[in-house]
Amino acid sequence: MWLPVLGLVIGILLGLMSNFSIPDEYSNYLSIAVLAALDTLFGGIRAHLQNIYDEKVFVSGFFFNIILAASLAFLGVHLGVDLYLAAVFAFGVRLFQNIAVIRRILIAKNSTK
Amino acid sequence: MKGKYVILSLVGLVLGYMIAFSYQLTRENEPDTISNSQWERDIELRNELIAQEENNRELQQELADKQEKLLEMEAELSEQEQGFFNLAEDSEKYRIFLGKVKVKGKGVTVTLADGQYDPKEENINNYLVHEHHVFNVINELYVSGATAVAINGQRLTHNSYIVCNGPVIEVDGNPHPAPFVITAIGDPEVLSAAINITGGVKDMLVNENIEFKLEENQQILLDPILGS
Repeated sequence: MWLPVLGLVIGILLGLMSNFSIPDEYSNYLSIAVLAALDTLFGGIRAHLQNIYDEKVFVSGFFFNIILAASLAFLGVHLGVDLYLAAVFAFGVRLFQNIAVIRRILIAKNSTK
Repeated sequence: MKGKYVILSLVGLVLGYMIAFSYQLTRENEPDTISNSQWERDIELRNELIAQEENNRELQQELADKQEKLLEMEAELSEQEQGFFNLAEDSEKYRIFLGKVKVKGKGVTVTLADGQYDPKEENINNYLVHEHHVFNVINELYVSGATAVAINGQRLTHNSYIVCNGPVIEVDGNPHPAPFVITAIGDPEVLSAAINITGGVKDMLVNENIEFKLEENQQILLDPILGS
């Protein structure tokens, strides 16, 4: 049960300790990737609460969304269009929706008890 | 079930790593970007610096002005000192002329004595020293730049008088017999040259049968006039 939390802590420590820096223009991709990861994570939590959780979908969505968001931002930079805004918008909206759904489910669960 | 946790931990690892790395990256970049309050502070400091520099410049200008004034004052002071020095020199000179102070210096001594008794000469006046002889010598000495003159040790001043009074001459009322020792302070070379000039005082005196002696002295001391 605590293994995923341990993995998260180790990941945070690794990220804080890693001292190499990447150029400024790539920090945008990283932000988008983080947003995508968060979105997928909350999507997974929501699916789990709605009992439609599929591990394959979750894991593949997690990595695929990260790569897709980063490549979308990359493409946007090279096309001169701020495509990362589209990613930010899409992921942001979905993030809010997912969190809202999670909240409702939790409230419903608590009130039935 | 176990495999599910492993996969979830992998997801957690990647997520944590990305979040932490992104956080760190943002934190590193933060010092480069300057926030509004920092801008304000920056401008404030800049303005302060500018004001400070202006103040400095004003003060420096003031300093330069003051220094200029100081230079002027110093120049004035040195001029005044020069003036005082000149005044002191003048007063010293005038005191010497007036006979108020003891005078010491180089000079000449002229001795005039009556000629030897000559039976062939009928008139005794022809070989006596008269007051006009003394006058001649004194005038010549004064003209040649003597600063102080004395007859038999008595200093002459601007209002001295010499009169013939029978066998003696009176200087300011004091009788002096021959021989007359006239001491003068001045440049000895100039004074003796003036006295010895051909056709001058010496020749005239010798022609009138007066014993004439001229000495150059390196050190002559003349006492001040008493009671003047």
